[in-house]
Amino acid sequence: MSSLVFALVLSPVLAADPAETGAPAAQAAPAAAPAAQGALPPQVEELFKEKGKDGQPILTDSDRAAVTKLPSHILATVAKKIDAGTLGGANHLHILLSLDLSPQTAELVFSDNCVLCHSDPEAQGKSRLFSPDPKASGSPAHLNLKSMLSDAHFRHGLMCSGCHGGSPDDEVMGGAIKERWPAKDERQKDRGWVVGFCGKCHGDPSFMRGFNPSLPTDQVAKYKESQHGILLLQKHDSKAAQCVSCHGVHGIQGPKNRLSNVHPQQIPFTCGKCHADSQYMAGYTREDGSPLPTNQLELYQTSVHGKALLEKGDLGAPACNDCHGNHAAMPPQVASIAQVCRTCHAQNGILFDGSKHKKAYEAHKWPECGQCHGEHGIQKTSDLMISDSADGLCGNCHAKFAGNNTQCNQVARYFRGSIMELADGDAHLGGDIEHLAERGLDIEKLGAAKGELDEALVQARSRIHAFDQGEFDVAAKPGREALAKANTLVADAHSEYGFRRNGVLASIGIMGFLAVMLAFKVRELNARRKK
Amino acid sequence: MSAPETQTRGQRLFGWLDQRYDLSPVVEFIEHKEVPVGGHPMVWYYLGGTTLFFFLVQIASGVLLLMYYQAGEATSYESIRYITTKVPFGWLVRSVHCWSAHLMILSLMFHMLSTMMLKAYRKPRELTWVTGFLLFAVALGFGFSGYLLPWNELAFFATSVGTDSMKAVPVVGQWLLEVLRGGPDVTINTLYRFFALHVVVLPITAIALLGVHLLFIQRQGMAPAMAHQKESRPGIRFFPDFMLRDVLLWLVCLILLSGLVFLLPYGPGIPGVEWELGKKANPLAPAYPGIKPEWYFLWIYQLLKEFPAHLFGLEGPQAAVGVVGVLMAAWALVPFLDRRAAREQPSPMFTDLGVGALLFIAYLTLKAWDIGGLAKGETGLPDPRATSWACAWIVLAIGVVVTAFRAVVQKHRWFILSGAAIVQAVLNGLLGMDYLLAGAIVVVLAAVAIAVILRRPAPAAAGGTT
Amino acid sequence: MAEPSASIATTRRGFLDWLIGVGALGWLGSVLYPVLRYLKPLSAQGSSGPVQLTKDEMAKVEKDKFTIVRSADARIIVFEAAGTLKALSAKCTHEGCTVQYSAGESVIWCACHNGHFDLDGRVVSGPPPRPLPKYVVSRDETGAVLVSPEKA
Repeated sequence: MSSLVFALVLSPVLAADPAETGAPAAQAAPAAAPAAQGALPPQVEELFKEKGKDGQPILTDSDRAAVTKLPSHILATVAKKIDAGTLGGANHLHILLSLDLSPQTAELVFSDNCVLCHSDPEAQGKSRLFSPDPKASGSPAHLNLKSMLSDAHFRHGLMCSGCHGGSPDDEVMGGAIKERWPAKDERQKDRGWVVGFCGKCHGDPSFMRGFNPSLPTDQVAKYKESQHGILLLQKHDSKAAQCVSCHGVHGIQGPKNRLSNVHPQQIPFTCGKCHADSQYMAGYTREDGSPLPTNQLELYQTSVHGKALLEKGDLGAPACNDCHGNHAAMPPQVASIAQVCRTCHAQNGILFDGSKHKKAYEAHKWPECGQCHGEHGIQKTSDLMISDSADGLCGNCHAKFAGNNTQCNQVARYFRGSIMELADGDAHLGGDIEHLAERGLDIEKLGAAKGELDEALVQARSRIHAFDQGEFDVAAKPGREALAKANTLVADAHSEYGFRRNGVLASIGIMGFLAVMLAFKVRELNARRKK
Repeated sequence: MSAPETQTRGQRLFGWLDQRYDLSPVVEFIEHKEVPVGGHPMVWYYLGGTTLFFFLVQIASGVLLLMYYQAGEATSYESIRYITTKVPFGWLVRSVHCWSAHLMILSLMFHMLSTMMLKAYRKPRELTWVTGFLLFAVALGFGFSGYLLPWNELAFFATSVGTDSMKAVPVVGQWLLEVLRGGPDVTINTLYRFFALHVVVLPITAIALLGVHLLFIQRQGMAPAMAHQKESRPGIRFFPDFMLRDVLLWLVCLILLSGLVFLLPYGPGIPGVEWELGKKANPLAPAYPGIKPEWYFLWIYQLLKEFPAHLFGLEGPQAAVGVVGVLMAAWALVPFLDRRAAREQPSPMFTDLGVGALLFIAYLTLKAWDIGGLAKGETGLPDPRATSWACAWIVLAIGVVVTAFRAVVQKHRWFILSGAAIVQAVLNGLLGMDYLLAGAIVVVLAAVAIAVILRRPAPAAAGGTT
Repeated sequence: MAEPSASIATTRRGFLDWLIGVGALGWLGSVLYPVLRYLKPLSAQGSSGPVQLTKDEMAKVEKDKFTIVRSADARIIVFEAAGTLKALSAKCTHEGCTVQYSAGESVIWCACHNGHFDLDGRVVSGPPPRPLPKYVVSRDETGAVLVSPEKA
């Protein structure tokens, strides 16, 4: 660091030729740090003189400021690359400077010939050109220079040559690249090679330990057992997803990064790229032969989980991978989906285990939670779901499969009745409390009672999953007691209000009486005075 | 004195005292004390009494509150919550104290207005006016210091904003700010100081000033109407006639107070006139939008907002404080400035000053309330242009009505100062001119007009009945 | 028509005055009632459960053999005698001073007027007219000392 300062301070002395900052500089107005103007290597200065088709210099003032800020050893590298021709011209330098690179990234970029050559629009055809905006320059989408430079591999030092072969010092594309990197038709024909390619590093624990010891290394093993893996590696179906399909190639980020394809809020759409495309998924079927649905993403977006994750930003809400797995993705079995729900909704799972429904559902091979709540399109539960009428959630099944058992329906009715009683009471209580507070009454105890009621309601709604009146009452009874206590308090408050009102009226009555008497006295005095 | 056997108990007690303390001069004084009600509607003479009544209510309810209130970081808010929720009739005592505070200040303002309009301040009663003005300042001090004592959010922010303006006082501004606040910011130390002010310093000052104010009135009697207004109605005896009517009115005020305390326990719901306890003060929380000081400070608050950051080399707030200071000083010195009333001559110029001051303060107060700033159902921040527009219309309407009344009924011809206030409102609100620029323009015009008129010879300039 | 005679006028006036008097008294009552109720202090509610001795209080029992705790409005003296914990009201039945425990003499002593009580609260000597009420003290499973809020 101190050598840097030393260099910068002495740079006017070390500069090659102060006379270079001559006439053209007048058009590119004086830079921010006039003292350092002589510090740029002459090759760089030459570039600053280059003009574009419109007669104006290609490199701008901000470019000059950016270059001036670069540490001297990087400037030296820049000069060398200009000399070597790898750094093409002013336009090329302008593009690189516009990326606003940190000194560390700048060092990587300017010393890597792969990056330099492939980012020079005058040296590359569109199909191989990395640019900050591929769409604008007509390049393929995965050749995004910006995202490439922030790519996780790139930042850890695994640059172009790490995957593609060759070396950053190569000035031409050599044979080393052909050895490492499969030819295009090979690459496109059977995508199975991707798994082995990525897995060579990512499946090697001792190798990965050198970069990120906490990163799992079992992805390939898991993938092999997944539906995608089976399709690709065993059936050689290249439509199946492999590493690149989800993680991308050049702009790979870890799942915690908001820009990553595998960030929780991005995952539904990453999976949906294939799974929501009915044309792409045509021909794929379930175990029973019915076509694989493609409405999961749509349903998910309307669901409680989807809204929580995508709209409210609650990263605790499940995305596709939380229920389906990511590398070992398989549709969860009917038997096991409930276990997955249980990882978050533990209490309801425990209650369900002890309930009558558990054995019944197992016998029918029904998914425990999904049977009532759905799977992709799970909606916010409503008390109205508890219904023993013929088309209600409970009544419908009871009629078809439980012989319309009266006790079952009675329990359903009991649940519904109790919950509605508590919920209605709670709503009225809210209004009462506001009403009383406006009138200046003390609502502290009432607030506490309502809090107890709210808590009991949450518990009661959860205890429905035991499908047993006794279990349900464990929460409902305290709820009813809290409601009764609250109602008593409301009645007390009303009677206190009545007491106050009567008191004020009585007091005003007395005062009014006294005032009237005094008025008479005044009149009487007046009459006396007149006489 | 009748024979001892036929004396009533009251007469015997009086006799006992009279033997020892010679009460005959007192009796003489009371029996002959008269209230000179000829010439003016009697109602004006009661307003001082109602102000005193509300002050007495404040003392009584204040002492009761003191029995349970504890000043302290962990106890100010909590003790008031205790009073309003747990203590029997605590809600009543607190609500009475809050309502009566506002009613006292309202009554005080009407009292001041009536003495202004009826020229009761004229010679020989100049000092009565001055002590009254000081009492007015003390009353505002009561309101300001008492407001902080519940240590809730509303009070905390209102006090921060209010004390901040102290900075603008020249030379001693920063020192004054820190002494008032007990530090650079409003903290619990501020509350301790305000508590001392509210419960000891201001009461002593108020009682002393009140004593002097009442002493003057007893010595000089209440101001009669001026010679040209006198009707041939004689005055009425103070005791028992006037006093009985006074007590009756006090009773009516008490009935009004009781009704208000019960129906609107937290105030009428107007910003700057509400005292719901709300949340405890949190010095780290951001002030919430729409924070306003109490209604009687709104005009100063609005005036401060009208000043730019710098004006003629002074900082905006300093200039504003300067203007307010000059206006207050002028108001306090009215008895000495009004030469005509001192000579018992009609003085319409000063009636006009009173009306003008009223319109001036009304316009600023209405603007501070954002009247007309939001269309029906709209939410968000009020639009200052729309507010100025609506308030200007209101002030114009009131101004026209009052002027018409004065011109037609009272036959005044002096409208320069009230006209200036109306024109300033119109220029600022209806024509969009900057408030200070409009003010400067009307002040210059008024000064010119006054100079021209005063130069004119002959009493033709005077007219009207006040 | 004719003027009411002076006596009727006087009685009418007297009646009016009497009514005013009654009204004024009524008014005074309607003001005094809330004020007096306001002034009467509420009894300290506190927790209705047993009072648990804090660490400091336990340490004091260790060191001085007794400590005074507060439960609602009551003061209670908790002391250790012959290895067992006992609790009595700490408010002397004479004039209400707070008593203390004298371990050496195995007596509860009130310094104000030299009243003595035995370890069960019975008056031994001095001016106190009545014995000190007893409170129940116990140890729970965690070793904490609890004093019941009700007299035994």
